[in-house]
Amino acid sequence: MLSIPLLDDIIAAALSTGGDFAEVFVEDRFSTALNMVGGKIDSAVSGREYGVGVRIFQGNNYVYAYSNDYSRDNLIKVAKEAAAALPGVSSGMTLSFMKHATPKVNVIGILPHEVDKQRKVALMARAYFVAKDYDPIISQVTVRYLDEDQHVQIANSTGLLVEDRRVRTRTAITAIASKGPEKQSGFYGPGAHMGFEFYDKINIDDYAREAARIATTMIHADYSPSGRIPVIIDNEFGGVIFHEACGHSLEATSVAKKTSVFADKVGEKIAADIVSAVDDGTIPNAWGSLNVDDEGHATQRNLLIENGILRGYMIDQLNGRRMGMPATGNSRRQSYKFAPTSRMTNTFILPGRHTRDEIIANTEYGLFARYMGGGSVNPATGDFNFAVNEGYLVRNGKIDKPVRGATLIGRGSEVLLKIDMIADNLSCGQGMCGSVSGSLPADVGQPTLRVSEITVGGRKGDK
Amino acid sequence: MDIRSFTERLFAKGREHDFQDMEVYVASRNQFRVGLFKTEIDNYTLAESRGLSFRGIINGGMGYSFTENFDDDSIDILIRDAAENARVIDSGDEEEIFAGSPQYVELDSYSVELDKVGAAEKIAWSRTLEQAVYSVDSRVFTAQVSMGNGSGETVIINTKGLTLSHKGNFAQGFVSVVVKEGEDTKSAYGFVADRDFSKLNAEKLAQKTVEEAVSLLGAEPVESGTYTVVLRNDVAASFLATFASSFSAEAAQKGMSLLKGRVGEMIMSPNITITDDPHMLERPGSAPFDAEGVATKAKNVVDGGNLTTLLHNLKTAKKDGVLPTGNAYKVAYNAPVGVAPSNLYINIGDKSYDELVQEMVSGLVIISVQGTHSGANPVSGDFSLSAYGYVIDNGQVVRPVNQITIAGNFFTMLSDVTAVGNDVDFGTGTIGSPSLLIGSLAVAGK
Repeated sequence: MLSIPLLDDIIAAALSTGGDFAEVFVEDRFSTALNMVGGKIDSAVSGREYGVGVRIFQGNNYVYAYSNDYSRDNLIKVAKEAAAALPGVSSGMTLSFMKHATPKVNVIGILPHEVDKQRKVALMARAYFVAKDYDPIISQVTVRYLDEDQHVQIANSTGLLVEDRRVRTRTAITAIASKGPEKQSGFYGPGAHMGFEFYDKINIDDYAREAARIATTMIHADYSPSGRIPVIIDNEFGGVIFHEACGHSLEATSVAKKTSVFADKVGEKIAADIVSAVDDGTIPNAWGSLNVDDEGHATQRNLLIENGILRGYMIDQLNGRRMGMPATGNSRRQSYKFAPTSRMTNTFILPGRHTRDEIIANTEYGLFARYMGGGSVNPATGDFNFAVNEGYLVRNGKIDKPVRGATLIGRGSEVLLKIDMIADNLSCGQGMCGSVSGSLPADVGQPTLRVSEITVGGRKGDK
Repeated sequence: MDIRSFTERLFAKGREHDFQDMEVYVASRNQFRVGLFKTEIDNYTLAESRGLSFRGIINGGMGYSFTENFDDDSIDILIRDAAENARVIDSGDEEEIFAGSPQYVELDSYSVELDKVGAAEKIAWSRTLEQAVYSVDSRVFTAQVSMGNGSGETVIINTKGLTLSHKGNFAQGFVSVVVKEGEDTKSAYGFVADRDFSKLNAEKLAQKTVEEAVSLLGAEPVESGTYTVVLRNDVAASFLATFASSFSAEAAQKGMSLLKGRVGEMIMSPNITITDDPHMLERPGSAPFDAEGVATKAKNVVDGGNLTTLLHNLKTAKKDGVLPTGNAYKVAYNAPVGVAPSNLYINIGDKSYDELVQEMVSGLVIISVQGTHSGANPVSGDFSLSAYGYVIDNGQVVRPVNQITIAGNFFTMLSDVTAVGNDVDFGTGTIGSPSLLIGSLAVAGK
């Protein structure tokens, strides 16, 4: 981390032209990635990323520069070069840093580097054998283990000075079932903003078994039919629908430029009355939680939608200027190589009053998407697509046979209005969310819910 | 910080800790980017970074570690981490530090001229692009414009006496356009890339991108069913990119590719030939050596529908008892060595895009697919992807179509190619294809 006099000088250099705000972000990150294929570790990499980013605002515009040569001379040079991109002269501000105490939302038990790699390997081996032994049709299992220990220092020209340490771990299990030339995969990847004690809190066997069960189920499944039908999306990772189709459009990144369908709609009805949703970066030890965001602000629980009415956005400092609204603790970046912007943390739909069983029993014909895969969205049009990793047809209020290869497509703003039943079983799943400021850990979540009609793409035309 | 002296100290420390063969892989990057939104420079980025990846053999195993911090502590951390990592590796595959190929091609991928182009010129270019976008059509609602250039150098130094370096640079202009007519909103994006700054044509890019966005206004789904389809060149390239891992011997050996054990078999239509060419000067995937220092070479992966080879690095080649193909690859400097194509493309046929559309008579032209990272399974070849494009009747565009999915299997689809265009396009970078006429695909819509 950099000394206060050096931070002072970098910020002074950054404000040597017409900039009105400057920020320094220092990152020192240690990470380990282990990969197991066929029960054997085939790659093991660990190392240290280190760099410094300097950001300057002038009105609504910004300049960002980064380097990993952290010598005093170079950092001053980087700040000056960045400043040179802005017109104007310095207003000559003086600075005194107030070191802020960092809220301790995420208490870390066992630091990853204190754990022998053999213990990490043993954990992976357990997951491997549970998944491999689940069914003879499982032909391959890969297990990927990751941990990281990120130290950050954030200082800005308002005098803010914050340090934080973020520790995360995740184990991702992919099971592949084979039948002749056909292959189907099942995936589960639990993770947390936690040290190695995470694996005492969960039983990795359960996740390995689930990954194998999904692959085994799908290898026996027929292709999904296609058409516009009711879709029941299960809880946990099913929340990716809300994340992609609505969450991104509620980020200030697209709202400030009015390229989002939800721009200027606070107070208006954008979803069915039964829908309420939040983004909450303060859940202790959740995958997407942070003590402070990457601008040094404490995270918050932000109400996005209340009973169908749009209540707020996720806002970073710069877009907050553009929108005339305060930042919400949502400013994030993958690393010093990215300028931060508004991003989701843990985003989910709140529980409703039904049960999952009631929703299924009330559905005459439709698709039950038990596990969703990833997806993407066009923020300008709201058009989204998601893969269904494990799907079933629902007939006469009962789960019928499994179907594979289904994709859900639609428009976020339309789907939100078509949610007609929400269950009481909220839970969250872990994902990596990619956007302008890089790839970030984020929780998605929801209770089981039903959308009255979505276009399902599959290989079979008929029902 | 001098990389050579750091490397010497690192190797010396490694020897003290019982490492035998050792290697560093160093990637240095410089980047510039400027973005415009509504005539203002709303973002401006200057970047320089360097990362060093170390690997070495200790007690028969290869250990990896990396750093972006070059102080003396980092040498100790690199050695400690690599030794620890070597201990947990138990795949039994023998990895080696490579002593070098007999010869390497000279590849001049670096333009001194490009690095002389100043920020003012790049900003001026972006302004021209932005103005052009708004002047093409009054329905342009917003546009985000950016221009950037980057240069990179890769250096490999090892204790077997190999020292290699390769330098390259590139400039790229990008635009995303949102058009609006009433409540109907559509978007399109486009980019141009070249090493010669003067060849970047802002007006043409603006014209093409806006025309595409406008052409999609009023799009509606079609009835679900089976359709004859033309995949436009960039879409065909995006399919090839999605399923390119099937050609990796590493994927095959791990049971993650359907092409395992199928070299010598017909896997696609006889009109499909796929080439991996690392020596195309105008393409960013070109280099004289791969991530392990093996000399790269051009070769056909599929020749007239016949699978001629998989792509190999040293490890996979040894395992299969074949020669390496120069396709060792690292996703990032700090990633382990894997396998990937360099510049991979489907060879052109003899029909123009218009001729393909006319030959189809009626069907769909697909000009974009979304969600290839989630709606396509690179292991099975199965895909179900959100798509849009145009409805064709009597060889003419009738109207735009969206909110549909196309579904099928990549290998089945490439066995059903009835005609190949002559309009190769490399989409977003290193993977290219001409437009392809496909006999039939399942479409879900209304």
